[in-house]
Amino acid sequence: MGATELRRIGIMTGGGDCPGLNAAIRAVVRKADGMLGIEVLGFRDGWRGVVEADVEPLTVESVRGILHRGGTILGSSPVNPFHEGGVERVRAVLRDLGAEALIAIGGEGTLGAAAQLATEGVPVIGIPKTIDNDLSGTDYCIGFQTAVQIATDAIDRLHTTAESHDRVMLLEVMGRSAGWIALYAGLAGGADMILIPERPFDLEDVCTHLRRRHLRGHRFSIVVVAEGAQPASGTLKLPAYPRDARGFPRYGGITQLIAPEIERLTEFETRVTTLGHVQRGGTPVAEDRILATRFGIAAVDLVVAGAWGRMAATRGGRIVDVALADAAKVRPVPEDLYRVAEVFFNT
Amino acid sequence: MKIGILTGGGDVPGLNASIKAATNRLSEEGHTALGIRRGWAGLLECNPDDPGSTERCTTPLNPAVVRTIDRSGGTVLHTSRTNPAKVKPADEPEFLREGRQDDGPRDHTAHTLKVIERLGIDALIPIGGDDTLSFALRLHDEGVPVVAIPKTMDNDVHGTDYCIGFSTAVTRAVDAVNQLRSSAGSHERLAVVEVFGRYSGETSLISAYLSGAERGIIAEVPFDIEKLAMLLTQDREANPSRYAMMTISEGATMVGGEMVVGGKEDAFGHRKLGGIGQLTAEMLKEITGLEIIYQELGYLMRSGSPDSLDLMVAINYAVMAADLVVGGESGRLVALRNGNYVNVPLAVTGQGVKRVDVGALYDTDSYRPKIRHVNGKPMFLY
Repeated sequence: MGATELRRIGIMTGGGDCPGLNAAIRAVVRKADGMLGIEVLGFRDGWRGVVEADVEPLTVESVRGILHRGGTILGSSPVNPFHEGGVERVRAVLRDLGAEALIAIGGEGTLGAAAQLATEGVPVIGIPKTIDNDLSGTDYCIGFQTAVQIATDAIDRLHTTAESHDRVMLLEVMGRSAGWIALYAGLAGGADMILIPERPFDLEDVCTHLRRRHLRGHRFSIVVVAEGAQPASGTLKLPAYPRDARGFPRYGGITQLIAPEIERLTEFETRVTTLGHVQRGGTPVAEDRILATRFGIAAVDLVVAGAWGRMAATRGGRIVDVALADAAKVRPVPEDLYRVAEVFFNT
Repeated sequence: MKIGILTGGGDVPGLNASIKAATNRLSEEGHTALGIRRGWAGLLECNPDDPGSTERCTTPLNPAVVRTIDRSGGTVLHTSRTNPAKVKPADEPEFLREGRQDDGPRDHTAHTLKVIERLGIDALIPIGGDDTLSFALRLHDEGVPVVAIPKTMDNDVHGTDYCIGFSTAVTRAVDAVNQLRSSAGSHERLAVVEVFGRYSGETSLISAYLSGAERGIIAEVPFDIEKLAMLLTQDREANPSRYAMMTISEGATMVGGEMVVGGKEDAFGHRKLGGIGQLTAEMLKEITGLEIIYQELGYLMRSGSPDSLDLMVAINYAVMAADLVVGGESGRLVALRNGNYVNVPLAVTGQGVKRVDVGALYDTDSYRPKIRHVNGKPMFLY
């Protein structure tokens, strides 16, 4: 299929919002509408807009001034298209609107649905976004670098209060079942320990580290805790997390659980800060704007090439495309990266 | 003269600027500053017969030492919540344990006075909130010259309109509200932002006022959760982006309810996770059926570097305190009153509580700031 044959495409953002989505929307519209003369329809509120045919036309004019804004101008929702009419409904909506392709920007849930639609013959292209950066198939996802910057800023600030009070400060960050935000922010902020799901922790070992630091004359410590951090088997027992509609655990709260234990075992005053939603809010950092822009352009190129079922991705600094079906799996933090961080835990 | 400087209670941004400004002013006037480490604990734990302990409890302050300290938050002197007039067994240093009969608190003011004398300290500049200042008053009553500087991010010290740390805390809260807008808007949710402030609603009130959050719940005015839910639902409908933001004091209460110490049990069976903000978020979700973003700001409000207003007040308070001490004054608190720098008797800090002037600044029907008159008010509105 050549560029001249395409007249209209759709775009949607699904799942949790994150900084950089608007930059991706803008890039898609600038390339499609501005350069190739392809109309772009924005579906409102993720899959809800797709199954209900709720759209707004997006033009070069209408996406001006959104590059630096967090969130998504299109909105989002937890709607799953396979619960709302499925592939037939999506196909019918696209046909009725004259949309010849759909660009889906999302995390593992949205892209999983997109992959399934693609296998059923719907012309779909994916763009990966999630602050958790846990998608296989790409080195980075839109939103991650901003979340890391916000968590790093928090660590920098908490240093002053931890030091003034000679305290152990625990900072809980997001990341679901992967430790990307915790590890990156911990490295950048000089955390004294980082607890990530990929490396189950033994609270006794954590306390030993903290005691050693104190013996060396450092009277405060900063520990970054990924929300999905797991105690080593046979040590601390965690009650089960509640599950969301798709059966994934809703993390959050582990730090509140281990803080009193650390305080009891070390007798160091221990306090908790939970970073929460500010990690996905606010203005995207430059890296996220650039990544989102490159992904947006690449997605339009994939549409033009008719490469249905592919996702824009980055590997080793280059923009590539991968199969959607292979992209939406959880990607853990690799061992070698954790070993870099570990160097800083013992001193 | 040799002047002791110490910081007590929770840290706030601006303490280092105060320490630097006081040190430099004293030095210019030909006097010496001595830093006392970890608040009143530095005097309690100091054993004048043990040189090592003096070294651990004090630190020399001079222009060279303090040159760069004002560039960061926290306090280089460190801090504690120790009150030498009420020392619990766990906080009692080994050499003072003799004669302990039970586990009750003991008064070691006499020891503190001895330490002050042995260290050759002629006067003290303590920087702190209510608790720190109460012991400052005690020392003044015992004859130690004391001029105190008020600090607390809650801005709740009676006797002054402003305490160091408040402006930065509000700046952080306003930033957080604005950062959360994109998430709240993208998902069309309600957002509940819980702010520190203990029993004073001022941080919540001013944060809501400055950020434009639709509602601000303050500790002074119990709220009806059903009514709040209705108001926020209307706010959300009226917003073209379909979301609404609210701030809430950690010390807020519901009508007919008690001070809430814990929300519903979380995954771990803990009830203290989020306090009133968490509970409010859960009840709003139940009543409205909407998804809620709950954010507790906590330590992020008090950590990091001071904003320019806190720098301004921290430096001016310190200069004023140094001048008063050098001028032979004692038992004074540096303060802001009606927008002017003044000094007041230190005793006033214990003679009342400082709370939001609800009649002048708040609308109890619509749960949001309502500043009734601005003309003629000082910069901080009170």
